[in-house]
Amino acid sequence: MAETKQVIIRVKRQAGPKEPARWEDFSLKWRPSMNAIICLRDIAENPVTRDGKKTTPITYDSNCLEEICGSCAMLINGKARMACSALVDHLEQPIRLEPMSKFPLVRDLAVDRQFMFESLKRVKAWIPIDGTYDLGEGPRVSPEVQEKGYPLSNCITCGNCLEVCPQVNEHNQFVGAAIISQVRLFNMHPTGAMNKRERLEALMGPGGIQECANAQNCVHACPKGIPLTESIAEVNRDAWKQALLGWLLG
Amino acid sequence: MSSTATRPDTSYFLRKLHSFTGVLPVGAFLAEHFWSNSAALVNAAKYDEVSRDLQTIPFRPFVEWGVIFLPMLFHGVYGVYIWLRGKSNVSAYPWVGNWLYATQRHTGLIAFAYIGWHLYTERWLTHGKSTYATVESDMQNPWYLLFFVVGILASSFHLGVGIWNFLCKWGLVATAKAQQAAGRLGVVVGVVFSIVGILIVISFRLNWHPFASYYISK
Amino acid sequence: MTQPKIIVVGGGLAGLMATIRAAEAGVPVDLFSIVPVKRSHSVCAQGGINAAKNQKGEGDTTDKHFDDTIYGGDFLANQPLVKRMCEAAPGIIDLLDRMGVMFNRTSEGLLDYRRFGGTLYHRTAFAGATTGQQLLYALDEQVRRHEAEGKVRKFEGWTFLSTVIDEGRICRGICAMDLRTMEVKTFAADAAIFATGGIGAIFGRSTNSVVCTGSAQSALFQQGVDYANGEFIQVHPTAIPGEDKLRLMSESARGEGGRVWVPRNPAEKRRPKDVPEAERFYFLEEWYPKYGNLVPRDIATRAIHRIVYQEKLGLDGQAAVYLDVTQIPRETLKRKLEGILEIYEKFLGVDPREEPMKVFPGMHYTMGGIWVNGEDQASNVPGIYAAGECEYQYHGANRLGANSLVSCIFGGGLAGAAASKYAKNLERGAASTSSAAFDAEKKRQEKKNQKLLSQDGSENPITIWRELGDVMTEHVTVTRINKNLEAADAKLRTLQERYKKINLSDRTKWSNQTLNFARELENMLILARVITLGAVARNESRGAHYKPDFPDRDDANWLKTTRAKWVNCDIQLTYEPVDVTLIKPRARRYDAVK
Repeated sequence: MAETKQVIIRVKRQAGPKEPARWEDFSLKWRPSMNAIICLRDIAENPVTRDGKKTTPITYDSNCLEEICGSCAMLINGKARMACSALVDHLEQPIRLEPMSKFPLVRDLAVDRQFMFESLKRVKAWIPIDGTYDLGEGPRVSPEVQEKGYPLSNCITCGNCLEVCPQVNEHNQFVGAAIISQVRLFNMHPTGAMNKRERLEALMGPGGIQECANAQNCVHACPKGIPLTESIAEVNRDAWKQALLGWLLG
Repeated sequence: MSSTATRPDTSYFLRKLHSFTGVLPVGAFLAEHFWSNSAALVNAAKYDEVSRDLQTIPFRPFVEWGVIFLPMLFHGVYGVYIWLRGKSNVSAYPWVGNWLYATQRHTGLIAFAYIGWHLYTERWLTHGKSTYATVESDMQNPWYLLFFVVGILASSFHLGVGIWNFLCKWGLVATAKAQQAAGRLGVVVGVVFSIVGILIVISFRLNWHPFASYYISK
Repeated sequence: MTQPKIIVVGGGLAGLMATIRAAEAGVPVDLFSIVPVKRSHSVCAQGGINAAKNQKGEGDTTDKHFDDTIYGGDFLANQPLVKRMCEAAPGIIDLLDRMGVMFNRTSEGLLDYRRFGGTLYHRTAFAGATTGQQLLYALDEQVRRHEAEGKVRKFEGWTFLSTVIDEGRICRGICAMDLRTMEVKTFAADAAIFATGGIGAIFGRSTNSVVCTGSAQSALFQQGVDYANGEFIQVHPTAIPGEDKLRLMSESARGEGGRVWVPRNPAEKRRPKDVPEAERFYFLEEWYPKYGNLVPRDIATRAIHRIVYQEKLGLDGQAAVYLDVTQIPRETLKRKLEGILEIYEKFLGVDPREEPMKVFPGMHYTMGGIWVNGEDQASNVPGIYAAGECEYQYHGANRLGANSLVSCIFGGGLAGAAASKYAKNLERGAASTSSAAFDAEKKRQEKKNQKLLSQDGSENPITIWRELGDVMTEHVTVTRINKNLEAADAKLRTLQERYKKINLSDRTKWSNQTLNFARELENMLILARVITLGAVARNESRGAHYKPDFPDRDDANWLKTTRAKWVNCDIQLTYEPVDVTLIKPRARRYDAVK
């Protein structure tokens, strides 16, 4: 049976942002430990649809294939996840592959997630060091803070938390959970805290933290298990305190 | 999005105000309203006394408009605006929080419509002088009755979820555990309000007064 | 004089560090990367970064780090710059610490250090099991800050095609392709720094990311930039086999107490947990009592090959051995190894905390790379610099674990500063170069695209690539036999012939990944030959390069750097002496006291 077992893949194709979308089905030879990326590579090697029609290889983003670069996020059977860790044996067939819907489409399964990187700029997601010359050790950080901060710094900017968030859509420029969580990370660091005010202000601007409506999808969709809802709650608290105290006390 | 926009903007304050008014004063008023209406569970006379006391508070129009009508109107109207800015996806991601997100919008709208109608029938048409008798007669209409039940359940649900949302969104509960506890609190609030509300409806409809023995006439 | 400008190609650790240093020096940078820089392959580095801070009071010194690195590299590295790197390492850790890297901490709030292969000291700072990711993010954030301040322009989603070299043989810019519009464009710059990483794709499956094709290095080589020590390929002893990639199981698993073993009985049928201690063969510990499981990578890799292919003790007769962390306390695993254990669990569906992992060596790293001078990362073509894995400088014949991150940051920083200085001091900058040089290069590259898009042939680029990977993995990794190497080169030449007949299944001009891959493939084939020919010629065994027919190191004949040159469209091997002025070469033996 293993010899003839097939994997059926349905891919949503779109030649460019302005081109019409269409679906193509592919039938591939099953192998153990197959994942969605292996399927896409199989198609690239032999780009022929299930009904024997020649087509083009599928454009998609991928890089590390171990779920740490954040490239290969897409909708698999309707759900946002990383393609490299989507094992075929755990998926219902036909396996549907679609591009993420909350980001501008490039082609086929590739989308443009520049919005997230721009948002990181907007919230000053960095530690303001004076320079890279030798200035001695950094500030001491307790293991407790490290253990809180480390999971946050695992964010791979894949965009799954934005994709699943009902508040991220064409009417709304919400920055999304990943960015809010990064603000928490940098505000937690002794040096990063020096820009805490500016970061919170940025998050109280258009598309800021107020757009979160607590659906909490983000925390379920995060492939890195980041406590995003905890981050949002904490940053929310800091934000209103700053807004209120800023207004009351200047 | 511009990378220089850093000032808190009005949308931040309106959102926070929306969240806050849901609990105070709207949620608090709901609690008060359920409390005073549960007088019906004692008897008609007690109900009319409570009603009369409320009708005779000082600064009544200011209290009614400033603490009840306007906050509710704002909470409702801005709530609809928030709804329009979101795009529910509960069919793709049927997680509990997502269900609550979607239902919160629908119950909010139902509650808003219900409260509007309720105000019209029980406050406007009665000129603020409703008595046990007027409410009781309304309840005999099965459509009124149904709307009452639906409205009470929607409002209770909306308040329960709202309290959970409020605690999370103001960062009063942050860790997953604390948020779970807050969720349970929300469930308790929603269930208690639903039960009390339905008991009041039953009381009017069936002239059922389980606490009649408490009554001491003035 | 006009404002000098620098181009950095590659946005991993080395490229970002070079960018930061140039921006700090006041030189604007155009940063090119195939992927958004935050997705570069540096994120895959797991275990840590070495620096002799002696934080555990073991008497560690930068000299000992230097000695371990040279000894681990089997004396093939030029020593002075390695020494400088080891001396700079503690300062690099401080810098990363200041940038906010969430390194693991001691109870006093200081950085914690772990042990790694090839040393007896706790010298490796780490952030969980995702140190590379954490370091890359720290630099990415600093670059983003410079970008927000207008000092850096990013060209993410662009691929490097070639440099623009003027009639005076000076690099004046680059030619690159936008991977969305497929537009070919030239960019002028006074200096270009290449930090284009690894070459894993040449071996088909490796621990490297998809973008690590070595295409840029090969393109440079074909424009006259020399390539050194190509034959030195590190095979990591513990990778998780997979069809799409070999996922690394970090050395830190052994650094934290993980043990490598096989059942003594090849017909063992019990579950690994049920095999009693006495019937387990901890071969690394038995063969190398001093270093045990933490022998350098080449040694561990060959030991595993010996167990599987000579002793026939592979698990179930397959090419795999156990890497066992089940005896390590859960709490330690969670705090220090969570990231890598998750990878195993996620991709294999087995919990490594409960059951020993099955691992096998996988191609991991190239010690060889672009030839650079021993001073400041400059290549032999003026205006071209290189840093990180794509150059050959720091690791000799074998890289020690946790030395790559430090070499990327040190080399990147050095290149950034040096290229800035060079650009500022140029008498005539790129602005003075005639546009003809740029136009000609652009035309040449566009023509290549045109040809690929229009030609009709019978060969599929992915099929050729798979065959390339198979032949390289089989013959040019752990064990090298001249006859096989020669056969491999013959095969590579056939693949080059077949390449001429490739047929692109996608001929569109928007986000055409097939076209880009075909271009990379041509370059990969050439670099594959550089590696293979280097291996054929080197008749000795040194570090990662092991020939059973020449089992010993031969300092008399081979203590020299291979320097490949592109002459008349062909590969020519030349050799130059290794600078061993600081530490006298001695025999490298990990089974005895050194």
